[in-house]
Amino acid sequence: MSTAPGAIAPDWLVRSEVGLCPCGCVGRRRKGSFVEKTLTGAADVMHQAMFGDEIAAGPGLLQRLDARVKVLTLLGLLVVAALAHTTAVLLGLYAVTFLMAWSSGLRLSFFVKRVWLFIPVFTGLVVLPATLNIITPGQIVVPLGNWWFGHTIGLTSQGLQSAALIVTRVAVSISIVVLLTLTTPWPRLMGALRALRIPRLFIQVISMAYRYILHLLGSVEEMYVARRSRTVNPSTDLKAGRAFVSATAGALFGKAHHLSEEVHQAMVSRGYSGDARAIDSFRLGALEIAWTAACVVTACAVLGVDRVIR
Amino acid sequence: MSVRDDVLVVEDASYAYLGRFPALDKVSLRVGRAERVALLGANGCGKSTLLKVLDGLVFPDDGRYAAFGEDITEERLEDQQLNAGFRSRIGFIFQNSDAQVFSPTVRDEIAFGPLNMGMAHDQVEARVADTLGMLGIADLADRAPYQLSGGQKKRVAIASVLVMNPEVLLFDEPTAALDPRTQQWLMELIVELGRAGKTIVLATHDLASLETLAERCVVLGEDHRIVADGSTHDILTDRDLLLAVNLIHEHAHSHGALAHTHEHDATHHDPTDH
Repeated sequence: MSTAPGAIAPDWLVRSEVGLCPCGCVGRRRKGSFVEKTLTGAADVMHQAMFGDEIAAGPGLLQRLDARVKVLTLLGLLVVAALAHTTAVLLGLYAVTFLMAWSSGLRLSFFVKRVWLFIPVFTGLVVLPATLNIITPGQIVVPLGNWWFGHTIGLTSQGLQSAALIVTRVAVSISIVVLLTLTTPWPRLMGALRALRIPRLFIQVISMAYRYILHLLGSVEEMYVARRSRTVNPSTDLKAGRAFVSATAGALFGKAHHLSEEVHQAMVSRGYSGDARAIDSFRLGALEIAWTAACVVTACAVLGVDRVIR
Repeated sequence: MSVRDDVLVVEDASYAYLGRFPALDKVSLRVGRAERVALLGANGCGKSTLLKVLDGLVFPDDGRYAAFGEDITEERLEDQQLNAGFRSRIGFIFQNSDAQVFSPTVRDEIAFGPLNMGMAHDQVEARVADTLGMLGIADLADRAPYQLSGGQKKRVAIASVLVMNPEVLLFDEPTAALDPRTQQWLMELIVELGRAGKTIVLATHDLASLETLAERCVVLGEDHRIVADGSTHDILTDRDLLLAVNLIHEHAHSHGALAHTHEHDATHHDPTDH
């Protein structure tokens, strides 16, 4: 062992120690702590972001479109979905989003899962009370008993129709947004927003936040792995977990502060003086024109049929 | 060297972080046009701070700094014309490429400097394409920084500075944490840039690559002062100086019954040295 001049390694350091039971017996298994689960989730997010661009770089229809045209046309379809008042028409528009997903090479099961994962949690809970006759009066189709000062409580036909309309509208809207985000690389999406006159500084802040969240997430993962590699007795103790989280948060805050200072210096060094500038390169070819025409026809058809059957 | 050839002049500069932690103590340095100068010193001796002073990112608490014949102070850099001129003539490649590569894509990153200089968009695009080609990273143009390896990030960081065609290039620990092939590529690039007439100042404690990278060495001691300034050969052969500033250490070991002591630097180990 090499030591600095004058330094003598203590006895315990030069003597080998048996870390594990020499009989090789198997100990009690412990499950990971909440910290481990949270960090595994965060690491998954990071890996998804890193490799999610594979879908966006695919050869599908939406991927080949100019990001600016795509943002504008899909925004238009979002407005159309908000203006439609019949569930049947919205279901028709929902079918169109499936067609778009299929033509862009997305796995339909993945696409459906991505959209319907949050609808029951967020929209379902909100619209549930509206299905009851105490909120939406009407013809009770599913009676739930006499709980309201002797009055019958139940799901009304009008309430269910309203709920179906809202849920379908939300599903269509989320589908359109998911299509946009899955088929457009993040930098191009930011570039498209920039071209649509969203303030450049705002876009720059979002872009840098996204860039450095991934970087700092990597640091957290490294800190946890470093700690785990030195942990002999894994503990699921909540107190130890909380102590680690607070220590990591503190270290990360310092790291983020130092990094932000360096990033600012790197920007100033290359002439940054508060005005965000960037190059925007967009193409407008036959595909974009055909796509825009198809979206306009779809929008007119949806609004026209909606007006007729309403 | 005549005074008119000096592009960077630091006189008696002192700087302390938060006013309490000294980083530079009465440092004076003159760098001539097209010189390749290495700032040598152990960790924490003030090399990076001196580079930041040279790039106008931190300003000395005491003393003076002038570049291209102009005094550089915080107040003077508020003048937009002086600021643009100074920034376009000096480029700084940070040790931490993650701090330097902050844009959404490699193309945006390389375009950042020229756009801030007010260059026309078509000219910027042409320059970005040339720089991508020159550094062999054209295939990375639309990639995001988090998808790049350490070596690729370093190339992008260098491209983002070279695209502005600065007269002076400052490198902070250029070869640190790079694989051998990227290290070699970077060393050849620095030599080539020096031959092309660029002034190069680099901070390092990597003695192994020093003779290739620089013709002159300025040594900073652990007391944050300059302790030596001379040719690379003279500095590298001054064993007592290198030991005193903690750039090499005495290493005692034995070969069978024969025990002896000799010096090692932090990065280089020559097996024929025994």
